[in-house]
Amino acid sequence: MELAQERDSGTNVISPAGRVDGSNSADFHEALAAAIADDDSRVILDMGGIDYISSAGLRVLLLVAQRLGGSSTPFAVCSLAASVDEVFRISGFNQIITVYGTLDEAKAQLA
Amino acid sequence: MSEPWRILVVDDEPDLEPLVLQRMRREIRGGKYQFEFAGNGLEALEKLRADDTIDLVLSDINMPQMDGLTLLSQLSSLDQDLRAVIISAYGDMGNIRTAMNRGAFDFVTKPVDFDDLQITIDRTVEHLRQWREATASRDKLVTLQNELDIATNVQQSILPSDFPATAKYEINANMVPARNVGGDFYDYVGVPDDRMFATVADVSDKGIPAALFMMSSRTALKGAAIGTGSPREALIEANRVLQADNPTLMFVTVIMSVYNPHNGEVTYSSAGHDPPVVIRGDGSAEQLPAMGGIALGVAPEEMFGANLKEHTFTLAPGETLLLYTDGVSEAMNVEHEEFGTARLLHLFEGNAPKSADEAMTAVFDAVHEFAGEAPASDDITCLALHRNAAP
Repeated sequence: MELAQERDSGTNVISPAGRVDGSNSADFHEALAAAIADDDSRVILDMGGIDYISSAGLRVLLLVAQRLGGSSTPFAVCSLAASVDEVFRISGFNQIITVYGTLDEAKAQLA
Repeated sequence: MSEPWRILVVDDEPDLEPLVLQRMRREIRGGKYQFEFAGNGLEALEKLRADDTIDLVLSDINMPQMDGLTLLSQLSSLDQDLRAVIISAYGDMGNIRTAMNRGAFDFVTKPVDFDDLQITIDRTVEHLRQWREATASRDKLVTLQNELDIATNVQQSILPSDFPATAKYEINANMVPARNVGGDFYDYVGVPDDRMFATVADVSDKGIPAALFMMSSRTALKGAAIGTGSPREALIEANRVLQADNPTLMFVTVIMSVYNPHNGEVTYSSAGHDPPVVIRGDGSAEQLPAMGGIALGVAPEEMFGANLKEHTFTLAPGETLLLYTDGVSEAMNVEHEEFGTARLLHLFEGNAPKSADEAMTAVFDAVHEFAGEAPASDDITCLALHRNAAP
């Protein structure tokens, strides 16, 4: 699982790329877990490079959101491709996980 | 010939014992079933503690000393791999719901129809057989592929096939499993005012843990449907049950409808799932609005109910309601194009289906034809409810 990462004064921006389905969701989870530090003040997952996410991948995002919720660390996803955005909308997970249109919006608004 | 299934019948009605022995004599003689009897919950628990070979408990609800619902809540403490089927008064939906929420696998209503009872027993023990195979194999650390095969069998064993067909309407459904991904199921259940609930659901994963979650989902949804009478309320209740103990955040997307055969009224709600499609009498079709729900199992009750709606409309004579999973809309062909909702909506143009079976079969045929040589990447499920045209 390819995954770029950039930390800027406590804001951890993680940018995975590719396709997340049942075959690599465990790797995706491991990579995300490793990319998140306990002292991150907020975490933004830039999904711009993800062109497909299956329900197994969504479950990973819920697990990440749960972990960060446990430490009251703000968490959001941004830049969803149209098909990924539709998956978020139909599953209702846009009601559980904060979604921003762009990374700039997420940086400006996530608190 | 394998060992007979051992069934403990719990009822304070002394007439039931000779009746069961008489009506099931062929199965008893053939070595298929073996019956034990207890007069109340306490007596049943004593028997179960003394004898760990009981497979199935068939219990009445109202009994002296210990009732059936209390017995159910005690069964889990026995740590035995058995299933319970509840016998309840027709229309006693509150108790049936409680029983389902306490882990009853299924229910039959009084007066007991022995054909129906036998179908229910057969289905329950078949499920139990698959389930034991699954857990035994897990203990032996089988390969992942075997585990997935077993999970598929567990999935098949919970699908009903005695489809309702009356002069007024009929239901037909099918689920074609894919390897490795998904975990679809469908179910339907009638309630005493003649309304019929129909449900299509998609569990987030596959494998043994997902199969277990699927079982809990099916039981919770069925219990909630018959207990609440409303798809929206049922989804809220099932979510409460599933969310209570779900550390791995598995989830299930659900579309649930209830059909009133007396006036054709349909009410539906959905949780993280594609809304239904209605096929009109002229063969045109439309997708109904989404109901704003979140997939079951992961959102706290308040959040889950906040945006969830339900919608009521009338299905006219000759019209068909389709509930389906994304295995239909997202089926891919070799060029990686999706089947898509639009294709589904145009499928019946000029050729409205005359029966539930015709509608359901046409959907599967179209998906298979579209997909061609491309392997199915997800389970495909479609349930059709057809209101018969006036004779």
